[in-house]
Amino acid sequence: MADTLGAPSRAATRAAGVLGPVTMVRIAIVAAIVLIWEAAAASGLFYRDVVPSVVAVARALVRVLADASFYWHLSVTMLEIAAALAIGGTAGLVIGIALGGSRLLSKAIEPYLYYLGPTPKIIFFPVLIMLFGIGPGSKVAMGAISCFFPIVLSVAAAMRQIPLVLIRVGQSFRAGPWDMALKVYIPAMRHPIINGFRLGLGIALIGTLLAETKMSNRGIGHLIIQAYALFDMPRMYAMLIILFAFAIGANSLLARAGKADGTMG
Amino acid sequence: MSVLPLPKAQAAADPILAVDDIVMEFPTPDGVVKALDHVSLSVRAGEFLSVIGPSGCGKSTLFNIVGGLQRGYQGRVSIGGEAVEGPHPAIGMVFQEESTFPWRTVLQNVEFPLEISGVAKARRQEMARRFIAMVGLGGFENRYPAELSGGMKQRVAIARTLAFEPKILLMDEPFASLDEQTRLLLGDKVLQIQQELQQTTLLITHNITEAVQLSDRILVMTYRPGRVKRILDIDLPRPRTSETIGSEAFGRFVAQLWSDLRDEATRGMDEQQELMRNAGRGP
Amino acid sequence: MTSRLRIDDGPLPALMGLAGIAALLLLIEGLISVGLLNPFIVPKPSQVIGSFYRVVVEENVLERFVLTIKECLFAVALVTIVGVSIGVLLHRVSLLRQATETWVAAFASAPVVLMYPLFLVMFGRSALTIVMMGFAAGLPPVILKTIEGLSSTRRVLLAVGQSFKLTPRQMFWKIQLPSSLPAIFVGLKLGLIFALINIVGVEFLINFGGLGQLINDLAERYDLPGTYAAISFVVVVSVGFFMIAERAERWLIR
Repeated sequence: MADTLGAPSRAATRAAGVLGPVTMVRIAIVAAIVLIWEAAAASGLFYRDVVPSVVAVARALVRVLADASFYWHLSVTMLEIAAALAIGGTAGLVIGIALGGSRLLSKAIEPYLYYLGPTPKIIFFPVLIMLFGIGPGSKVAMGAISCFFPIVLSVAAAMRQIPLVLIRVGQSFRAGPWDMALKVYIPAMRHPIINGFRLGLGIALIGTLLAETKMSNRGIGHLIIQAYALFDMPRMYAMLIILFAFAIGANSLLARAGKADGTMG
Repeated sequence: MSVLPLPKAQAAADPILAVDDIVMEFPTPDGVVKALDHVSLSVRAGEFLSVIGPSGCGKSTLFNIVGGLQRGYQGRVSIGGEAVEGPHPAIGMVFQEESTFPWRTVLQNVEFPLEISGVAKARRQEMARRFIAMVGLGGFENRYPAELSGGMKQRVAIARTLAFEPKILLMDEPFASLDEQTRLLLGDKVLQIQQELQQTTLLITHNITEAVQLSDRILVMTYRPGRVKRILDIDLPRPRTSETIGSEAFGRFVAQLWSDLRDEATRGMDEQQELMRNAGRGP
Repeated sequence: MTSRLRIDDGPLPALMGLAGIAALLLLIEGLISVGLLNPFIVPKPSQVIGSFYRVVVEENVLERFVLTIKECLFAVALVTIVGVSIGVLLHRVSLLRQATETWVAAFASAPVVLMYPLFLVMFGRSALTIVMMGFAAGLPPVILKTIEGLSSTRRVLLAVGQSFKLTPRQMFWKIQLPSSLPAIFVGLKLGLIFALINIVGVEFLINFGGLGQLINDLAERYDLPGTYAAISFVVVVSVGFFMIAERAERWLIR
């Protein structure tokens, strides 16, 4: 869905000079939102800092970004997400290849994965705390379980879509199972794999951070819920803004990676 | 590999590929279908043998059996007396469908079989370049298949299989998806390479002109179940050019094959129509 | 290639899947009995199954279930009204669409559920927070699919409308909207699923409301078999919900 990020508008801007009508509309929308927000903040209709002024949020943003400990928490969260994606992704890749390669396995197991896919994974968190403790272990497990599903399902589907003739070419040159996997199956599935990992990243990020907000003593999720507990609203808004910028940025980066490859393949 | 055309080792050479008495049946929801019925053939060293037949005669099944990609048949396939069970290093296959790897450049595609057999990088690049030049794609080494035409992609596939240096080149309608002009030009190219390498070749086709132009012998198959109907010696002189195609002798072979095939093709069409009428669905 | 009869058609694979799950449960049961697994981390499957009844009767599961479904329905009703309206608006005003469609798409892939502390601040620890979370999560796919459906109305249908001299209003109600209903339903199905995931998740996270809170409650009481039973129950409910949504979509789109 986010694959189309910015493409039509950029073309329109170029056609109409520096500030095209689309850009103007965008600026107008943002300005209107900021104005309404400011008015709400100044009106005093809301309880204390629920709607803090934009200036206060900006100040908090600068303060957060200037704080060294923020980067420590950020690195904790990013390492957790990376570990979750590595574990969930590897499991998804291997099991997906097995499911895609065997009709029997696919029919026996895939329906369960398909229907478990959209259940809210966070409800497994109490079990994960029991198994892995309240430290980063349970957060990594949460992220790994979350991203396993979209990856395993997209890899299994992709396996079935590999043109049979490419598999036969590999077999006719007597490629062993290892060569087949590394030189035929995985490259043939590169686009769906990248897409699966893109979905997986977004979902691992949600799983990991939600787990952090529920019970932890470090990470961005912990900072957000701490700001909430201390009722430091500008700080909480600032943190959410950073988080969303990070999530959307990572997603569009991966989307572009998938596309860049597509033009040559 | 010599570029000089060697005198052809035609004189009663041993068959290097022997297919003995193959029977292949497929169970389908509508009952058992016999695809191949006691098919035997042999290919001599350096020979160009074509198998021709209407669609549905089991040509592609035969291709897969000889290539070692199809199991569960009765009979025996052997190379130099050794039974073939699974893909054999002496056989290189060229497939009907577009079969280049889209994620590899032309060079990397042709290197593929050499990579699998563990040839060192410098050596395999050198070999790949030679075969790319041989199929006339010098200069396109670093292009991706998406940037090439259908005929060029098929040439990449042929170069890739040649790089495997198979004793027997096995091709399943490699020109089927190409337009007529490309098909003729590519046929010339294949013939030239085959003569140059003295490459033993087994071609599966349904195109009569193509078969007569390329082959030393042509094996005609019947419509389902596939049997050997006739084996025809094509004693047209070589090298064969576009003029050969216009010659009277060429025309006679074409006419002969056409009358053989017409019966089979008609029978095939009738049976398929009958099948559709009965089952209410396509073949 | 000729199609072949294979053993992996028919009911055998499904039975194998079920047998596999049963075997796994038995294995866990055995490992706990032998003492290789700690029963204070993983309870015996037999205990979990035994506590199903207890959880259902003592923990007002039916009431909680109804509450969660109600929250979900409210959220989806809001998503339908607001999402389809915004979709129509963006389709009508192409400048607005050009300006904001990518924002909506980015929003669709953003981790919306992480905004729950914000919603908590705005709406308090109440059902409203939960409904609004479901709404925020379900909105983007409905907007995007509505735009997609409206803009892919086949040209020939529009030409037919023009030939009957339909007014723009008639054109919209008689042709564009009906022809885009399949796409809108796909959007609504996605919206419904996203809303449900987020509603149950937020119930668990903020310890308020229906089924999600049940899990949190039992976990905080260290009622292990109960927690596992509740989780299984929620999984069964959401799987059932998802299956129904899929059936409904197929039935509507036929």
